[in-house]
Amino acid sequence: MASETTAKQGGNDLGVDLDDHVKRIDRQDRVATGILTVIVAFVLLLLASIVAFILVKGLGKALSPGFLTTLPLADENPGISSEIFDSFYMLIVTLLISVPISLGAAIFLVEYAPDNWVTKAASTAIETLSSLPSIVVGMFGSLFFVVTLGWGISIIAGAMALTMFNIPILVRVIQQALQDVPRSQRDAALAMGLTRWETTRHVLLPAAMPAIVTGIVISAGRVFGEAAALIFTSGSAAVNINFASANLSSPRNPWNIFRPAETLAVHIWKLKMEPTPGNDEIVWGTAAVLIICVLLFNILARVLGKALAKKMTSE
Amino acid sequence: MAKRLMPKKQLEGVGLILTGACVLLVALVVITLIFMVAQQGLSAFFVDGINFFSFISGTSWVPSDGVYGALPLIVTSFGVMLLATLFTLPIALGSAIFVVEVQPGFGRRIFQPLVELLMGIPSVVYGLIGLTVVNAAMRAIFGEEAGTGAGILSGGIVLAVMILPTVTTLSIDGLAAVPNEYREGSYALGCTRWQTVWHVVLKSAMPSLMTAVILGMTRAFGEALAVQMVIGGVEKVMPAGLLSPAATLTTALTSGFSNATTGSVQYHALWALGLLLMAMSLVFILIIHLIGAKGAKNRG
Amino acid sequence: MSDSLSRRSFISLAGGTAVALAGLGLVGCGGSSSSDTSSDSSASSDSSAKALSGTVNCSGATSFQPLVEAAAKKFEDENPDVTIAITGGGSGQGLSDVRDGKAQIGRSDVFAEEKLDAFDVAALNDNTVCVVGMGPIVNSNVDVDDLTTDQLKGIFTGQITDWSEVGGTAGKIQVIERKAGSGTRATFEAAVLGGESAPADFAPVAEEDSSGTVVEKIQQTEGAISYLAFSYFDDTKFKALKVDGVEAKAENVCNGSFKIWAYEHMYTKDADEVTQAFIDYMMSDEVQGSMVEGQGFIPANDMKVKKDASGTITNA
Repeated sequence: MASETTAKQGGNDLGVDLDDHVKRIDRQDRVATGILTVIVAFVLLLLASIVAFILVKGLGKALSPGFLTTLPLADENPGISSEIFDSFYMLIVTLLISVPISLGAAIFLVEYAPDNWVTKAASTAIETLSSLPSIVVGMFGSLFFVVTLGWGISIIAGAMALTMFNIPILVRVIQQALQDVPRSQRDAALAMGLTRWETTRHVLLPAAMPAIVTGIVISAGRVFGEAAALIFTSGSAAVNINFASANLSSPRNPWNIFRPAETLAVHIWKLKMEPTPGNDEIVWGTAAVLIICVLLFNILARVLGKALAKKMTSE
Repeated sequence: MAKRLMPKKQLEGVGLILTGACVLLVALVVITLIFMVAQQGLSAFFVDGINFFSFISGTSWVPSDGVYGALPLIVTSFGVMLLATLFTLPIALGSAIFVVEVQPGFGRRIFQPLVELLMGIPSVVYGLIGLTVVNAAMRAIFGEEAGTGAGILSGGIVLAVMILPTVTTLSIDGLAAVPNEYREGSYALGCTRWQTVWHVVLKSAMPSLMTAVILGMTRAFGEALAVQMVIGGVEKVMPAGLLSPAATLTTALTSGFSNATTGSVQYHALWALGLLLMAMSLVFILIIHLIGAKGAKNRG
Repeated sequence: MSDSLSRRSFISLAGGTAVALAGLGLVGCGGSSSSDTSSDSSASSDSSAKALSGTVNCSGATSFQPLVEAAAKKFEDENPDVTIAITGGGSGQGLSDVRDGKAQIGRSDVFAEEKLDAFDVAALNDNTVCVVGMGPIVNSNVDVDDLTTDQLKGIFTGQITDWSEVGGTAGKIQVIERKAGSGTRATFEAAVLGGESAPADFAPVAEEDSSGTVVEKIQQTEGAISYLAFSYFDDTKFKALKVDGVEAKAENVCNGSFKIWAYEHMYTKDADEVTQAFIDYMMSDEVQGSMVEGQGFIPANDMKVKKDASGTITNA
């Protein structure tokens, strides 16, 4: 910057140079803005073409009658009903485990954390978790949850692996949301003689709720598409689930968390790897369903967040 | 009054214990993970007697024949990661600057949500698109040289698209965090927007931009299924160039596990690859910490 | 062409009746199996009469997982109290699981001898539920229809690099290999390279670990060659070659004239009643006839030759 300033001063003596310089930097500015606009347009185009490509290739199959409601093992026109069920069920189990833990961990880190090595180690541990490759988490899950804990290839083992991805994302989101609550609210509550715990429960959490809900739903979208870790932990075989089954310990009972399961993302991977003729259509159809689900999660996250925030301010 | 205080203290204790237990649980899981991966991976060296240095420097990986040289996998992993970063960086940075400095309204309300959407697209779907589109494009551009179109370049391109949203979003946050006084000061001196961005904003946002890039690299380094579909999977020789089919640490793992029986040398050797991957992600975290510490120091 | 088309249409009917099957003329190996249908259905009704119950875990090779899944579904429908829990993981996983008692059935597309210690193998019971033929395939634009075993050997060891050397239009041969250690590759190398493996410095253009990526790349890549199980053959996407003038077809595998094939194994260890019943069901004509052929496999009973773990072929 210093050189620019001197150039300007030099230009003052010689008039013409200043004009020249201004023109040059103006042009530079316009060119830069032009390039940036092109880049942004490129990113938007990329996004649009990816989504359009998948929808064009798969939407026809995805909307074909029965695709969403037929079992994958059906003799004719196999569908993806059990994959859809398994994906959502696995997601719910994952959230049931990961949300309370993340909430607790985030509250600890924001409100209680003593400034010592324990806290530092804990936050480093969470950070480490966020950087681990999903395949390593899958390998660990296949050894620890599946073998050491004896859960077998199961929904719960898969959900635990997903929890390991989800916790660092959720902790960060909740931490941020809690920190964003205005200082004055916290101080007021503490000044009224409320304990930290009461302050957190009755003041901070409600105030941070819209951001937390948005974060949870967005993280759900990401968990929904994970495949690498699940292949090792919850399996890659379609289950012949039986909704009439009353025996909760039967591997065919849909609600049994100790049965193997196959999610949409894993289904795509498996079918692509084993190219029985006719698979291609199902693969793209499943991909379209998956993309639409992720789109819905994103929209839902924003709508829910806005609605909650509105409700909060109106109260 | 004293009676009221006791339960309050207890309540505070309950809160501390409950939340502390959550943190402890997470930490325990991480420690178990590191311990188990290390135990399985190290047994390749200490139980099965694979030489660590020949493991790291060997140029051929054929586990079914007992040949364990992980160098081609390591080189490829770094290769695709750097390529992906190289492709992504200008685009991510460019759009971040546009969003923060040029059109903040459009950026916050429309662009950022859309980019976050890109982040939600599952990696298997990226792999599918890579297999159909990117590989074909490689063949169309490079002809016979590209072979099937599968190779390091294809892997790099697919990964670049995958890490683009991560790097973009974090860069946006980094640029937005630069105090407005800096910009106003620069404009007051008569600088153009571009000069302000280039000399002031980018400079002061540097630590967070570097963190954004490294987090993107971490994701690229650890991605498995999408890369596996497009990279060609040749593990037995060193990659000769950007168009060479190759295999990364992660793809060697996904494909190797189906052929290994538990407890065998091959199985432990695969865990050793997992250990390498884990060690690398720890190094990435360390780098981010160092950058953070340095940034804090610079700010005074 | 018509053969593959009818098989494709057949797949949509998989599980159809034997009558439909005979009508389509699809009984792969001379139709001997359909004559046994009556004796067989009585066998399967026997097993269901005992009111079996329990869970069978079955993990391992993915190559014939769809077949086992289809059979398991039928078996579960006939025996409502039985669950066959199927997971993938690959042959290595299947063999270790059955060895360690984590699964009652381990699926493998290689002999257990290749992966496990002799001691562990001795404890296992080998059930070869079907046979899978594999043949060389090329991109549809390649104008070669027939290769000798020697030519194939030359191509897959890097000696022959141009299609003009084997009678086609000049153009680079793009060799797509399978991952070393996979059952498919082991079978192909045993039959074509005579047990040798490619020289260390020969690098194929891709080394895929799944049939799916092979199909995708063969279809797209000019001059590409690879090999694939019959069950994945699809004339609309690529072309299957003859080997030494013999067409890659089920009946040629049965009579021993087509040499590239392997067993699909379901290993058990001290099988309990339910497990054995399911294995018996897999071997029954209900599965062996329509289902096995419908999925592109060859019933083990139809084979006129057999192979042992060391690869020696003898007349059955």
